[in-house]
Amino acid sequence: MSWIRRRWTAAEADFWTKEDYLTFIISPLVYVMLMIGTALSMLLRWYGFLLLGVGVVLFLLMIWVIDPKLKAISGDYEHKQKHYLEDLEKIARWEK
Amino acid sequence: MVHFAFLDWFWVISFILLMTVCGVLFYRLGKRSMADFFLAGRGLPWWLPATSVYATHTATDTPIWVSGVVYQHGLRGLWYTFFSAWCAISAFASTRIFRRSLAYTQAEWQTLRFSGLGAELLRGWIAGWQVFMNMFILGWVGMAMGKLCNYLFGWPQWVALVLFSTICAVYVLAAGYWGVVMSDFQQGVIAFLVIVIVSFWGISVAGGPQGIVGKLSEMGQSWRLNPFSFTGLTGGEFPLIWFLTMLVIAVIGGFGMGTSIDWYPEAQRIQSAKTVRDASYSIWAGTALIVIRNSIWAVAILGFFVLYPNIRETAQYEMAWYRIGFEYLPVGMVGLFFAAIVAIHLSTISAHLNLGASYATRDLYHHYFKPKATEKELVWAGRISTLILLVGSFIYGSMIKEITQWLIFALWIMAAGIWLPSILQVVWWRFNSWGYLSSWIANLGLSWLVVWVLPEFHLLPDLPDYLQFWIMMVLGGLLYLPITFLTKPEDMDRLVKYYVMSRPLGWWKPVRLEAERRGLIALRAEAAKGGG
Repeated sequence: MSWIRRRWTAAEADFWTKEDYLTFIISPLVYVMLMIGTALSMLLRWYGFLLLGVGVVLFLLMIWVIDPKLKAISGDYEHKQKHYLEDLEKIARWEK
Repeated sequence: MVHFAFLDWFWVISFILLMTVCGVLFYRLGKRSMADFFLAGRGLPWWLPATSVYATHTATDTPIWVSGVVYQHGLRGLWYTFFSAWCAISAFASTRIFRRSLAYTQAEWQTLRFSGLGAELLRGWIAGWQVFMNMFILGWVGMAMGKLCNYLFGWPQWVALVLFSTICAVYVLAAGYWGVVMSDFQQGVIAFLVIVIVSFWGISVAGGPQGIVGKLSEMGQSWRLNPFSFTGLTGGEFPLIWFLTMLVIAVIGGFGMGTSIDWYPEAQRIQSAKTVRDASYSIWAGTALIVIRNSIWAVAILGFFVLYPNIRETAQYEMAWYRIGFEYLPVGMVGLFFAAIVAIHLSTISAHLNLGASYATRDLYHHYFKPKATEKELVWAGRISTLILLVGSFIYGSMIKEITQWLIFALWIMAAGIWLPSILQVVWWRFNSWGYLSSWIANLGLSWLVVWVLPEFHLLPDLPDYLQFWIMMVLGGLLYLPITFLTKPEDMDRLVKYYVMSRPLGWWKPVRLEAERRGLIALRAEAAKGGG
């Protein structure tokens, strides 16, 4: 699925891209499927199991899409964090 | 009244000791610094804040709330609990932006996003409001426990309110957020297991899944099995327009910060995660557990409906899930059930004690009263704030009567006028502190006017809650949008600094171009080229 990008540099991952927008669509759908699917599965309705299954597949798809990007963002950001924290303390103490 | 055998008391006392000792054990870590006392040093793997999200939002009043809406509406009642789905988008949008800001609290974030007097006013206002709200939440959750213990043991309601909150305060005072999050982990696991056991027990008592479905059919109540059984477009108890309004509030709200009252505890968990990725997954996974938990409860409550279909009083059927546990579990198991209830209660109390104290300490004491305070002083300020919140919660608790009424008010009305501004502050560079501040002031006045004052004087009919939401959103917009455009944009230096640090989503083009011009971020084309 080359339409979905799975290799990111930190600079690229900082921009909001179609992978993020796709995740915004899939993620609420997963919650809906999990909620209705769980309730109806517990009542042994066949469509409940189907919805729950779709929810699990969508969840795996969502992680597959967004995880490489989140990893790239996190890895780079950890290096900058120390400097930002010092800045934050200065604002809290009215030194900046 | 419920009779407890020796084994029941053994479970209860053992669990309370285990939870308290587990929290206190982290005393040495909690006292190291303010970052440890309120954020566990910003070093937690995703699954710890995730269980904390789940445990915090599983309170003693939660099964009362879920029982109420599911008994009344059947499975469509689950949508009343779907407000938590704001985390679906937030986990990958506002969570990411907020974690990169590194702000301790939402109040502190205001001074990173905005500048000048407006930002400081917002910080002070949100901090004060959060101290009040956390006291208030502690009061209503404490009173839910009071009601339960009154039903179980005949205790006066204030006894359980004071007793369990005080036990909880022991480990929150000692270890701060370290104590909260570590206890939340074991409390979350215990609570989830017991919720599953008790709910399945209730389903079994009601005749099993097939029995429940069959009996509902015989009673002519099969619509209760349909989560989409609307009563029309705008009329009836469950109109389609309500459902669509709820979806908009819950899902689109994820782009903002503060669109739900749950954002504030979540913000603390976001900042306690060790990376941006951990923060995103913690919020998403914690809420997924909440969504699944609600469904498990809902089926058990359908079972209760089959057993007791003719309860008319809200206060009676709100106790459905508790009644399943206390009336049908065997001796020995009842104590385990009550121990789990204590676990879910303590997890919520501890979270709000520490959260309220974080606003009082970081945003009020440190920022406005003693900016040069040492880390040791700040940890002590955190402990004293925790004590003040505890005492305040006893006072508020004794003033709250109807749990569902307050929850509906808090979920719908308090958020209505600031829902859109809370999104705009994240996604639109031109939205300024004066616009956001005025939306808060307008909302406070409008919510009381539209919900109580005008209907009381027959100047406005009693409107359904979804209409109240849209009316307040429009009326609020008529005030804060002109104010935004009539006042200056935020200082460009502050906006650029915020943009570079947080990389927000939405309409930020002028700020992005300025950051690129200053060479602070890579050009989009260059970034793509660098990636190959």
